[in-house]
Amino acid sequence: MDLLLNEDEEMIRDSVRRFFETECGVQRVRENEDGESRSDTALWRQLAELGWLGLGLPAAYGGGEAPFTQLTLLFEEAGRALAPIPLHPHMTAALTLAEAAGRGECGALAESLIADACMGERLLTWAWDERGPNIGPEAVRLSAVPEGNGWRLNGGKRMVEAFEIADYCLVAVRTNAAGAADEGLTLLLVEPDGDGISSTTQGTLAGDELSEVQFDNTYVDGDALVGRVEGGWNLARPMLERAMVLNCAMIVGASRRAAERAIDYAKERHAFGQPIGAFQSIQHLCADMITWVDGAELLTREAAWYMDQGMDAALPAAAAKSFTNERCQMVLREANQIHGGYAQVYEYDQQLWYRRAAAWSMRLGTSIEHRREVARALFS
Amino acid sequence: MDFGFSAENEEFRAEIRAFIAEHVSPEILQEMREGYAGAGIGPLTRDLILKIGERGWIGMSWPKEYGGRDADIIDQYIFEEELARARVPLNLGNFIEQAPAIMNAGTETQKKYFLPRLVRGEVTFALGYTEPSGGTDLASLKTRAVEDGDDYVINGQKVFTTRAESSSHIYLMARTDPDAPKHKGISIFLIPMDTPGITVRPLWTLPGGRTNEVFLEDVRVSKDTMLGEKNGGWYVAASALNLGRAGARRYCIYVLPFEELLKYLQNDELGREIAQDPVVQDRMAELYCEAQVARLFTMRSLSMVRRGVNPPYEISSEKVWGPEFQIRTTEAASQILGADHQLWDEDTAPMNGKFPREYVNAMVSAFAHGGTQVMRTAIARRGLDMPKE
Repeated sequence: MDLLLNEDEEMIRDSVRRFFETECGVQRVRENEDGESRSDTALWRQLAELGWLGLGLPAAYGGGEAPFTQLTLLFEEAGRALAPIPLHPHMTAALTLAEAAGRGECGALAESLIADACMGERLLTWAWDERGPNIGPEAVRLSAVPEGNGWRLNGGKRMVEAFEIADYCLVAVRTNAAGAADEGLTLLLVEPDGDGISSTTQGTLAGDELSEVQFDNTYVDGDALVGRVEGGWNLARPMLERAMVLNCAMIVGASRRAAERAIDYAKERHAFGQPIGAFQSIQHLCADMITWVDGAELLTREAAWYMDQGMDAALPAAAAKSFTNERCQMVLREANQIHGGYAQVYEYDQQLWYRRAAAWSMRLGTSIEHRREVARALFS
Repeated sequence: MDFGFSAENEEFRAEIRAFIAEHVSPEILQEMREGYAGAGIGPLTRDLILKIGERGWIGMSWPKEYGGRDADIIDQYIFEEELARARVPLNLGNFIEQAPAIMNAGTETQKKYFLPRLVRGEVTFALGYTEPSGGTDLASLKTRAVEDGDDYVINGQKVFTTRAESSSHIYLMARTDPDAPKHKGISIFLIPMDTPGITVRPLWTLPGGRTNEVFLEDVRVSKDTMLGEKNGGWYVAASALNLGRAGARRYCIYVLPFEELLKYLQNDELGREIAQDPVVQDRMAELYCEAQVARLFTMRSLSMVRRGVNPPYEISSEKVWGPEFQIRTTEAASQILGADHQLWDEDTAPMNGKFPREYVNAMVSAFAHGGTQVMRTAIARRGLDMPKE
């Protein structure tokens, strides 16, 4: 029992932080948000060259095989820096391919993608959300009817990150609509520019873009299969849990930085004859911000630790996500309040953290949905 | 990052559970409840304390030279947690809260006298800090100790001195230099409770327990009773005061009301009916997540102590989050259970009247050992380096 970082973990956190501080200042964040692609390919390449993209992937594919807890540190730092790169969708997909490979349920295409994902040679993403509640197997309705060696897809996906620039997208489909919700799910790899696939992008509060993807009689070959046919939930469940925990880590990283910036500001800003940080009303806001973000961080790291132990992480991941969503919104709210009028001004930096942490807290299931999962564990 | 207990920790937990199963009888629990309600420490309880002391579980994380076992502080946590979960209201952690200060600042004679006796449960301290005029602004205390030859003569009053009626000694903070800045004129004295001039008057509390006022009138003590340097008492006490706010005992105070409410909603016939409401389930799920944060804050503080760090703000965070969580829990319980929640009589009320008792108990956490507002200020000043003016 030691909840603090060990030497390896500190080293990872410190070197990633240094990297982002040097390479990814707010100017770069702003340029990307205002630019066309909204994803910084140069930064992505640098991160790949330093080996960070392979951190959590198996050594057999060129990865660092680090525990998932260490990967959350990378994501905390990416969130802290508001790094405009598709780290979250890429790692969510790559880790799922790696898990399938570890189970011996992964074809040649998927295997080659893991190695490429480590090197940043090819960009991966994933597509889960449709209309309606999103964190259970019932969310997936996109129809895939067996045909020849493959499947014929009809339906849509929403809120897909980096779809336009990805090389492959891991898509959850329903290959059998007859059985229970968690049976009949299958995961398939599709190329975003394939025949019968169309997409439109929508800008978000975070300043990034999410795609709405339409599959119109799209044929996907059997080689695209990841995992077992109709055994998709076995992979999708840990995929969602990892995605939730990594998303929490990003929210925590961004919220902590926002809290620190607000605290620094409170020490400098003078009003009523003293630094506003000397007023206890402000001090107490700051104390709460740090307490809440610490709580979110500990819950997130514990959920990651459960996964490293091979323990069922459904409950800790749901607890982390429901707490982090709401409490980190509260952290950002207090940070805004300390900055006062400037918090609403576009050219002032506070909003960069506020908009992203808030938008991230709206993805991958609401606090209400995740509390329903917690309640299921408590009362079923 | 390691969020799990080791195999050795789990073995030790099993040992403690076996001890509790064998030695903590319903009769002892009944005697302890009566003791809590004012009867003092009875013979069965005294015997249990000695048995625990014999096994070296009091102060077990101390160095061997002071009577400890150099044990993992996590084992000490487990020991205290298991006792608290078995509802053994011994508060043994409290007995030894002052030991680190004695190890750091005591003379050889003091160490040799107090430390082994604390371990065996023969010496127990009541904490003579708080005064009627001061509260959490401890450093403004007014009790005076005036030098007189080889003695000090002490006059003043303490309040909320829990266990003053049953402790062998009082760990007393008094002002030895009224002209110095308030933190720099305070000394600590270790004084037997039977010293002439000490009077104890009970204050009965809502949760059903006893605390006290202690009056000191011309209490004459030798200079040997002083712990650490004259006027250096604040600094002797400060770290123990911080560390005393962490650990299993406080964690259990914060979280057991939630666990009891959950058990009631899971197992009781009426409870199960109430728990079918999805709104109730949502509220309980939220509290569950918050309880995990309380647990993690406690384990984080212990992780730091284990590494030899006196946490600069983390224990204060725990002391804000824990009590406020406890209050949110008991208020939620009152609105989840409604009219049944107010029933007080032990033989007819749900859960033997625990719910309304926990309800009034919760408020105590938010001011005992430092009010939550003062803790927030400590987080800001010590943890975040925010300015005083």
